[in-house]
Amino acid sequence: MTTQRTHIIGRGERRVDAFGKVTGKAKFAADYSLPHQLYGATLYAEHPHATITHIDTREAERLDGVFAVLTAKDIPGENAFGIVIKNQPVLACDIVRYYGDGVALVAAATREAAEAALALIRVEYAPLPVLTDPEEALLEGSVKIHGDSNIFVHHKVRKGDIENGFAEAEIVIEKKFKTQFIEHSALEPEAALAEPAEQGGIRITGSVQNLFSSRRSVAAALNLDLNKVQIVQATLGGSFGGKDEVMTALCCRAALLSLRTGRPVKMVNTREASMRESYKRHPYVLSYKWGAKNDGSITAMEITCIADGGAYASMSPFVTWRSVVQATGPYRCGNVKTDVYAVYTNNTYTGAMRGFGSPQVNFAIESMMDMLAEAVGKDPLELRLQNCFETGAETATGQTLDHHVSLSEVLTTAADAAQFSAHWKSFRGQTSGAKRRGIGLACSYRGVSLGAEGTDAAGTIVSVQTDGSVIVSSGITDMGQGAQTQMSQIAAEVLGIGMGRIQFLNTNTSRVPDSGPTVASRGTIMGGSAAKRGAEIVRSTMLKVGSHMTGEATGALDFRDEHLVRMSDGTHLATFAEVAAECFRRGLPMYGFGWFQSPKTSWDEERGQGEAYFTYVYGANIAEVEVDIETGKVDVLRFVAVHDVGRAINRSAVLGQFYGGVAMGLGYGLLESFDFEEGIPKQLNFDEYLIPTSLDVPPIRPVVIEHPDPAGPFGAKSIGEPANELAAPAIINAIANATGRRITELPATLERVLLGHALSRTGERGSQHKTSDESCKIRPAGL
Amino acid sequence: MKPFEYIAPRSLEETTALLARAGTDATILAGGTDLLVEMRRPNKMRKRVVVDISRVSELGGMITSDRSVVIRPLMTHARLQHSELLRIAAPLLASASAAIGSPQIRNRGTIGGNIMNAATCADTVPPLIALGATVTLRSAAGTREMPLSSLFLRPYQTIAAPDELLTEIRFPGLTADARSAFIKLGRRNALSISRLSVAAILRIGRDSRIAEARIVPGAAFPTWQRVTAAEALLLGERPSARLFAAAGACVSKEMILQTGRRWSTEYKEPVIAVLVRRALEQCAAPALPEDGK
Ligand SMILES: Cc1cc2nc3c(=O)[nH]c(=O)nc-3n(C[C@H](O)[C@H](O)[C@H](O)COP(=O)(O)OP(=O)(O)OC[C@H]3O[C@@H](n4cnc5c(N)ncnc54)[C@H](O)[C@@H]3O)c2cc1C
Repeated sequence: MTTQRTHIIGRGERRVDAFGKVTGKAKFAADYSLPHQLYGATLYAEHPHATITHIDTREAERLDGVFAVLTAKDIPGENAFGIVIKNQPVLACDIVRYYGDGVALVAAATREAAEAALALIRVEYAPLPVLTDPEEALLEGSVKIHGDSNIFVHHKVRKGDIENGFAEAEIVIEKKFKTQFIEHSALEPEAALAEPAEQGGIRITGSVQNLFSSRRSVAAALNLDLNKVQIVQATLGGSFGGKDEVMTALCCRAALLSLRTGRPVKMVNTREASMRESYKRHPYVLSYKWGAKNDGSITAMEITCIADGGAYASMSPFVTWRSVVQATGPYRCGNVKTDVYAVYTNNTYTGAMRGFGSPQVNFAIESMMDMLAEAVGKDPLELRLQNCFETGAETATGQTLDHHVSLSEVLTTAADAAQFSAHWKSFRGQTSGAKRRGIGLACSYRGVSLGAEGTDAAGTIVSVQTDGSVIVSSGITDMGQGAQTQMSQIAAEVLGIGMGRIQFLNTNTSRVPDSGPTVASRGTIMGGSAAKRGAEIVRSTMLKVGSHMTGEATGALDFRDEHLVRMSDGTHLATFAEVAAECFRRGLPMYGFGWFQSPKTSWDEERGQGEAYFTYVYGANIAEVEVDIETGKVDVLRFVAVHDVGRAINRSAVLGQFYGGVAMGLGYGLLESFDFEEGIPKQLNFDEYLIPTSLDVPPIRPVVIEHPDPAGPFGAKSIGEPANELAAPAIINAIANATGRRITELPATLERVLLGHALSRTGERGSQHKTSDESCKIRPAGL
Repeated sequence: MKPFEYIAPRSLEETTALLARAGTDATILAGGTDLLVEMRRPNKMRKRVVVDISRVSELGGMITSDRSVVIRPLMTHARLQHSELLRIAAPLLASASAAIGSPQIRNRGTIGGNIMNAATCADTVPPLIALGATVTLRSAAGTREMPLSSLFLRPYQTIAAPDELLTEIRFPGLTADARSAFIKLGRRNALSISRLSVAAILRIGRDSRIAEARIVPGAAFPTWQRVTAAEALLLGERPSARLFAAAGACVSKEMILQTGRRWSTEYKEPVIAVLVRRALEQCAAPALPEDGK
C-alpha cells in the first residue's frame, strides 16, 4: 500500500485533551461530587486464603453517620464476574482467595466515618493453606483455589515434528527464565461516583477503561437491564490496562451502596488500597529449549510457560493466548511445540497490562537469541537477520504473513542508528575497570488488536453541527494514550477541516455502541477506522449538497482547508460551515455512524494453528548501558527505539508512546517488582515500589518507520504496546554484553547483577533467603 | 489520617512553652516530608497536637562563628546543596543534601527533620558525624549540647525528650588541606533511599602521608559512627589503591561484627568495602568532581 497524500494525518497536532489537562480543567473521576453524596469504603480480606466463618456488622451499622453496611448476601444479582471464566466475586461470599478480596462495604456521610465503620466490622476467618508458587500449583497434591485443578488455561501451538527438529540440531540451548509481578502505576488510582438514575437504574461516572464489560457486570450484579446502567467515562489519569476488572468491582460496589441508600456514593481508592486490590502483570516461569544448526538456523523450539494467574481468571486466558502465538518470536522454525498454562494461586490476580503477554515471552526469546548467537559465534544482529520473518514467511501458527514484513529494515535501521555491531564487538570481553559498557538488541513481531481472541469491532460517531462544528464520540476510550486525538485527526482529514472544529466526548455507554475493550493497542486501528467511516458518511452527504449548491459534479469537489473546493484548481466555493447549514436547511442528516469490523482471523485451539491476527507490527530496541560491576548498578545511557507503525496518524502521540514505552520497559528490566510474602503484598506505595524517575531514563532516539497497512485507517497499525515490550530484553542483553553474565530473572536489581541472584527480606529479621537463578545449559546435541 | 490540633508558633520561646505544656501529646513538624508519610500510616501516629515550627525564624539560616559552621534546623536540603559556604567548609554535606529525594523533597525537607527522624538511611547524618558535629537541644527547662553521634539511641529513636527541640547543628569547617567525599548508592538515580552510603574526610600532610582520616558509613550500622579501626589503618600511610581497599575491607568486617549476618549481608559485605575505597579515592584525587551519586 502506498502512502496516501494527506493534510492533517501524520502531523503532530496538539492533543484534544491537552488544554484541559494542563489548566486543571480536566475532571478526573475523583473530582466529581454530588449533593447528598455518601462515601463508600471496602473492607479487605485479612488473609490471602481463608474461609469466612462469621461476619458481624451490627456495631458498624450503629456508628453515627453510617448509612449502609453490606456484605455478599446483599447483592441482588450475580456475585461473579469475569470476561471468560466468571469466578471473581464483587464481595467474597464464603472464601477469600487473595489479600485484596473485598468482604464488606460501608457507605457513610464522611470518609472518616466510613473508615471508622470498617474498623468495627468483625469478620472471623478459618485460614486455609496459602498457595503462592505457580509451579507448585501444577502439582496434584497442591491446595486448590477453585474446583479441582489449578490449571485453568492450557494453550498450545504444534508445528512440524519437535523430535525431528531436535534430531536435526547440532546445538541445543535450554534455559529457564522468570518474570515478576508488575504494578500498572497509573498516576490516578481508581475512583467512581454512582447515583440512582431518574428512571430507575444507576449512573456511574468513573475511571473506567473498559466501560462495556464493567457495565455488563454491574447490570448482572444488580439485576438490571443494560439500558438501566449508564457508565460515563471520566477523564482518565492513565490505565496501562489496569482499570478493567478492578474498576468493575468498584463500579459494582458503588452502585450497590447507591441503590441501597438512594444516595450518590463516591468511592476513591487510596494508593495503598489500589496496590492491594488491583491486578498485576503476570509473572511467568518460562522454560525454553531450542535446537539449532551450527550456522545458526533454528531447527526446533520447545517452550513451556506457566503464568501465575493469581486468585481469579480475569484476562489470563487472553493474555496467555497472545503469549502462545508470539512465544517463538519473529523467527523461522519448522518444528515448534509450545504450551502455555495459567494457574490459580493466592497471589493477587493478574490481568491485562500494556504488552499483554508479550513482555514475558520477549524477555525469554530475545535472551535465547543472544545465547544462540554466542553459541554459534555470530553477532546478535546477524543471527536475527538470518532467522527473522520476511514478507511471505510462515509463523509458528501456520499463518502466512502476506503484508509487508519490515522486520529486517527495522532491525538494520536500529542497528545503524546505534552503531550496534561495532559497539557490541568492542564491548565484549572487557576485563578492566569497574564501569563496563554494554549494548543490547531486541526485536519482536506483534499481532495487532484482539486477533482470534474475540469479536473485534468498534463504532465511532461523527456528528456535524449546523454551524460546521463537529462532535465525535466513540466506544473506544482515551486513557491518556491519545485515542481521542487520533480519531479526531482522522475525522478532520476526511472532512477537510482543522482540529479546532472538533469536540470529542468522553465515552458514555448509553450513547455509543459497545465497541469492545480499549486494549491490545486497538484504539487507533479500530476506533480510527470507524471514525473514518463515520466521517465519510457525512462527507458524502455534504459533497452532494455542495454539488447542488455549486452545480459542480460531486466527483470534482473536495473539502479542504475548511472549505468546499473545486479539485481541479483548488478554488474555494463555500465554507464548510455554509455547506453544513445548507445540509440542515435541506433536512439532510449530518450524522455519521461508522462501524468497523476487523478482517477475518481463525484459530484451531487443539493444534494451535491459524490466522491469529489480521496483521502484525515490527519493532526493535537497542539499549546501551553502563554496569558498575562492583555494586551491580546499571545505568542506561542511550536508547534507540524503532517501530513500523504502519502510518503515524499523530507523530507527537506516536513519539510519546515510544518514550513512555521505553521508560516503562526500563522499569520492568531494572527496577520494578511487586513482591508478596505468603500472598501478602510487601509494598503498597511508591516509596517501596520503585518505578524509573526522569533521571533513570536515558535520551531515547526514536525512528518511526511507515509501511501503511491496508487494514488500518490511512495505513495506521499500532504502537501502544509494541513500544513497551522490548526495552527489558534489550537492557538485559546489554548487561550480558558488558559483563559476560546473563540475568535470567527480572528485574536486574543490584543484587542480581552483582551476585547472580536476588536477596529478599523474609518475615524473620536477620534471616536470609536466596532465589537462585538457574544456570544456563548449552550443550552439543545428543548429550 | 487521624484528626489533630495544628499550632504554628512564631517564636522559639512560644514553641518551647507549647511543647512543655503538650508533653508527649505533641509532635514537631518542620518540612513534613517524613512526618506526613508517617501520619498517613494506619495505626501509627497517635499524637494529638502538631506543632509546626516552620514559621519560627530563629530556627532558620546558617552562619559561621569562629571557624565553626552553625546550621539551624530549618535549613532545607535545597539551600544546603547550593550553599557557597558549604562548598568550601563541608562539600561532603552539600553533596549529601544534593543526593536527597527530588527537587520537591529538597525544597521542603530540612536538615533538622533529617536528623531527628533518625532513619538509618538519613543522608545528611554520615557527613555531619564525619565533620564532628554537635547538636543543641532546647526545651523550656534549658538547653544541652552533645556530639551528634550520641544523639541516637537506635534507628528512629533519639535521646531527645518530647518537649525538646533541635535548635542548632555546629561543626568546625574543613581546613583548606582537607578533602571530603560523600557517595550514595541507591536503586535508582533520584528519589532513592540509600542502600548504602559513605562519608569520608582525608587530610594528607606535607609529607604525603595521611594525617587525618574519618570514615562514616550510612545505612550499614544500626547507628552511625566513625569506623576508627579503618581510620587507624590509614593514618601515617601514603594513599594507595591497596591501602584504600584494605580500609574498605576493614569497614566491611566491622559492619558484620556489629550487625551479624542478615538477609542483605551477602550484598552489603563486598559493596560497602567498594564504596569506602571509592570515597577515599575521591578524597585523594580532589580533581575529580564530587557529585554525591
Ligand atoms: C519522596 C521522599 C524521598 C526522600 N528521600 C530522602 C533521601 O534521599 N535521603 C534522606 O535522607 N531522606 C529522604 N527523605 C526523608 C525526608 O525528606 C528527610 O528526612 C527530611 O530531611 C526530613 O525533613 P522534614 O523537615 O521534612 O522533617 P519532618 O517530616 O517535618 O520531621 C521529621 C521528624 O523530625 C522531627 N523534627 C523535625 N524538626 C525538628 C526539630 N527542629 N527538633 C526536633 N524534632 C524535629 C519531627 O517531629 C519528625 O519526627 C525522603 C522523603 C520522601 C517523602
